[in-house]
Amino acid sequence: MTRFDAIVIGGGINGLTAAAVLARRGKSVCVLDQAETLGGMAAPGPDGAPRGAHLLYNLSPAVRRDIGLGKRDWPFRSAPLPSVALSPDGRHVVLRGSEATNADGSAHSDAGAYRALHGRLAKYGALLRQLAENAPPGFDGKLASRSALQQLVRLGWFGLGLKRLGRDEMRNFLRVLLSNAYDSILDEMPDGPMAGLLAADAVRGAAAGPRAPGTVFSLIYRMGHGGEVTLPMGGMSALCSAFADAARNAGCQIETCVAVTRVLIEAGAACGVETADGRQITAPLVLTSTGAEVTCHLAGPQHFDIEATRRMRNVRARGTAAKVNLRLSGLPAVTGLGRDLMAARLIAAPSATYVERAFNPSKYREMSPNPVIEAVIPSVTDPGLTSGDSHYLSAIVQYAPCDLEGGWTETAKRALAKATIDTLATYMPDLPGQITASEVLTPVDIEAQTGAPGGHWHHAEMSLDQLLTLRPANGLGRYALGPAGLYLCGASAHPGGDIMGLAGRNAALAAIASEGRK
Amino acid sequence: MTENTKYDAIIAGAGHNGLTTAAYLARAGLRVLVVEKNDWIGGAAVSRSLHEGWTYSNCSYVCSLLRREIVRDLDLPKFGLQVIPYEGGASFTKSGDYFAYYSDHDALRREMARHSPRDADAYARYSQAIMRQCRFIRPFLLRDAPDPTSLRPRDLNELAYLVKKAHGLGSRELGETLRFWTMSIGDLLDEHFENDLIKAHLAGSGIIGTGLGVYSPGTAYVLLHHYMGDLDGGIGAWGFARGGMGAITAAMGAAFEHFGGTIRTGSGVEEFIVENGRVTGVALENGDTFHAPVVASNMDVKRTFLKHVPRAKLPGDFATAVERFKIRGSSAKLNIALDRMPDMPAAPPHASFLRGDMHVSESLMELERAYDNWKDGRWSAKPYIDMLIPSQIDPTMAPSGSHMMTVFVQYAPYDLEVNGTRSGANWDDAQRAAMAEVVIDRIAIACPDIRECIVHKEVRSPADIEREVGLTEGNIFQGELTFDQLLFNRPVPGFSQYESPIKGLYLVGSSAHPGGGVMGAPGANAARAILRRETRDNRMKGYAA
Repeated sequence: MTRFDAIVIGGGINGLTAAAVLARRGKSVCVLDQAETLGGMAAPGPDGAPRGAHLLYNLSPAVRRDIGLGKRDWPFRSAPLPSVALSPDGRHVVLRGSEATNADGSAHSDAGAYRALHGRLAKYGALLRQLAENAPPGFDGKLASRSALQQLVRLGWFGLGLKRLGRDEMRNFLRVLLSNAYDSILDEMPDGPMAGLLAADAVRGAAAGPRAPGTVFSLIYRMGHGGEVTLPMGGMSALCSAFADAARNAGCQIETCVAVTRVLIEAGAACGVETADGRQITAPLVLTSTGAEVTCHLAGPQHFDIEATRRMRNVRARGTAAKVNLRLSGLPAVTGLGRDLMAARLIAAPSATYVERAFNPSKYREMSPNPVIEAVIPSVTDPGLTSGDSHYLSAIVQYAPCDLEGGWTETAKRALAKATIDTLATYMPDLPGQITASEVLTPVDIEAQTGAPGGHWHHAEMSLDQLLTLRPANGLGRYALGPAGLYLCGASAHPGGDIMGLAGRNAALAAIASEGRK
Repeated sequence: MTENTKYDAIIAGAGHNGLTTAAYLARAGLRVLVVEKNDWIGGAAVSRSLHEGWTYSNCSYVCSLLRREIVRDLDLPKFGLQVIPYEGGASFTKSGDYFAYYSDHDALRREMARHSPRDADAYARYSQAIMRQCRFIRPFLLRDAPDPTSLRPRDLNELAYLVKKAHGLGSRELGETLRFWTMSIGDLLDEHFENDLIKAHLAGSGIIGTGLGVYSPGTAYVLLHHYMGDLDGGIGAWGFARGGMGAITAAMGAAFEHFGGTIRTGSGVEEFIVENGRVTGVALENGDTFHAPVVASNMDVKRTFLKHVPRAKLPGDFATAVERFKIRGSSAKLNIALDRMPDMPAAPPHASFLRGDMHVSESLMELERAYDNWKDGRWSAKPYIDMLIPSQIDPTMAPSGSHMMTVFVQYAPYDLEVNGTRSGANWDDAQRAAMAEVVIDRIAIACPDIRECIVHKEVRSPADIEREVGLTEGNIFQGELTFDQLLFNRPVPGFSQYESPIKGLYLVGSSAHPGGGVMGAPGANAARAILRRETRDNRMKGYAA
């Protein structure tokens, strides 16, 4: 078939979500993905090991419902993981939900402070989640229109939620929301591994350090569902299959290894796409989960107004997170940590100051000699993922800027791997001897494989001036992108990155709503 | 309690905001006393004679933000205030070139085109965008900050004013405004311009006095804050007060005394006397005590409440919130007496821009690295300097033929790191001298013979500024101008309307809305709040231009 009601470019989590939502509303949908395996930045590697994203914390129940996977649970099991803030002196901190203990099980001196801060961030996160599940507020004129009234009602609920915090908490929310993570964290606890973990979480995937204003927002944002970190059993394959199956069951046609070379526009309206193998597929609705600027080029800048073109060019999407994936002959041990805790999410960020120092070189297009690392060994929790005694370790490494001075040559990639392994080895001395294979994915590689602009973990910087109605740019914040029928449904649209599916869902709903208005 | 120890209002600190509050209250008929720890008045707006024959504006050095409504209401020109606008400025490079900024648009365009024709075109769009934002924000300076958690009619009214103004912008402009308030100056400049030197020149106002880098979100606002002033109707224009910045506060002091006020110098406040949750007066360091039902503090919020009010008399969460308010020193100052005009070989002879602000930073990256040094507790290896020679226009600052140079330095930490420990006490003569050498090397980029011209210099670290002026950590704004510390969050959420939890005790300095710079707005707004609340006098207008 070459004629559909809608085409979705990109079969990542957002793309598959958009497709499933549209299909469940009766549309015939075609999903096109350039890679062999579906899932985008969540797609696993060929052997099932995680390649890009490796953990879940913000998966949206609203998405699960709207793609038809039911109200209760996901089709795959999820194992909650504790987090371990690694300390160079062996006194690691174990965090389970809002509880903090030392690695030997004894009470941590700042447990009370952590509990209070975590609880507060989770409360704020729940509030912000309301905003995430809807299209961002629009400020266009007519206050009496139905959509404007709907918006006012939603903002009213948000305001009510805000008021329900109580006056003092509301005041604190309004102050802290725009503050920087470094100060907000260190106002509550001394600098150390616990503070380092929170600081690292605040800036994961960002081109910012914890001292940048707006980084508390990103920390709160991660806690939209309480902040619990989970590992999907069956690996990221299970996650991606669940989304792919939902789309297929809804009736979507999904094609892999198909690259889109042109978005076709006629008389100011989208009418389909052209693929690398020369086919033309027509549809009056085209949703794209790549970046805005790429889409502009695929369609042709002449179809967008000059202001919009300039804004799309100025969207900041400078990836700084790389992946280092290691195959191991055995399970490494962390000095001072029990074997069962090797299943945990391991953070190498011994202090908030360390995270800020790691950030500094990236501003000058250099990689951090002492990187910030989030590592997990999924095979401890999910032995079915590997065979024998082998394991694999997946690490998100910052900061590795996409525009590295001199480029990401093989030498540079080896240097990144070495810095990563050396840093991890300070906690796991036997690690280097256990590595049987390693893979380095720089932001450049991530961009090539997934189309993420700049290889950015969230497709576009999650800074305050690129959020909500301003995401990805002023005037382009409500999914519609220029010509009629063209929509942005990826992480560069509201509410942005993390494996959520909300951007895809919101975009699909926006497309359906505007069709209804015709 | 004798007659001359009892007043209607006492102002602690004769800085420009304290004097503004004092003058407005005296003008309204109150009996007002100003107490000041130094032997001179002015706070950080002073003219000091530290070397025979020369006058230093040794803290603040240029004037723009002083609200014209205040100048008019207090009739400051009658009391000697005269501000002379200066034209333009320049950034000099190591290679012997410069970028000059002219107030005249055609000259500026030609000069920009010399460096980048593309940027010459872009500048029109950039400056329009800045002007639009300035025009939007200015009315809010002389209004109270709206408290979004309050349902009181006055607060709802302020909130409604904000919503009305925001709605009047239209969606596209509102989006732009939100971007301005949240972007970094570096990103904003990268969007408009390509030339490193031009960007570096324009970025300076975004980091002056601020513990943030050019690529830190929120610095576009700091730049806006510096552009909001006007002189003779020229928005964003800056000038020299004739006789130095002390002329401003001298005029304010004279106006105050003309309205019947009294100033006592030489002893500062030891304690604000609080009984049953109400302030009743001040106890000075020298033992004197004065009583008043209204006391206004020009000191910053930390100094006021954490040093001069017994902890037991402060509500617990208020004290914690005050401790959390960030006041970080990031600037130093050199004030230099020159025996002649230094040679500036890069510039054409008698160039008009030499009378303006001069800099030597060549790129945003250089400025960002300067910030990184500060984070690590050291002064910048290549600091940003804001260098002016006011004596070219103001003959009162130096003997004839000689000159006075004021050099503002960004960044220098308060808590200097020496041998692994960070402390304000680490600023000794050796450290000061070492920093001065770094700064003079920078000056030498523009003025190669500077060392031969120096007759005397005063080197002020943030610790020195703290000690002499009373500004915590030497922060010139009495608190960072980041959005978590602005508007209804300044200085503490719930207390952004000048009155503290202690009845009758008001905060009137730059720790209060709308923040720092020699503006007078906090002082004027506080006076209005005092008159309204304490005397039911509503005559003082809330300006909304």
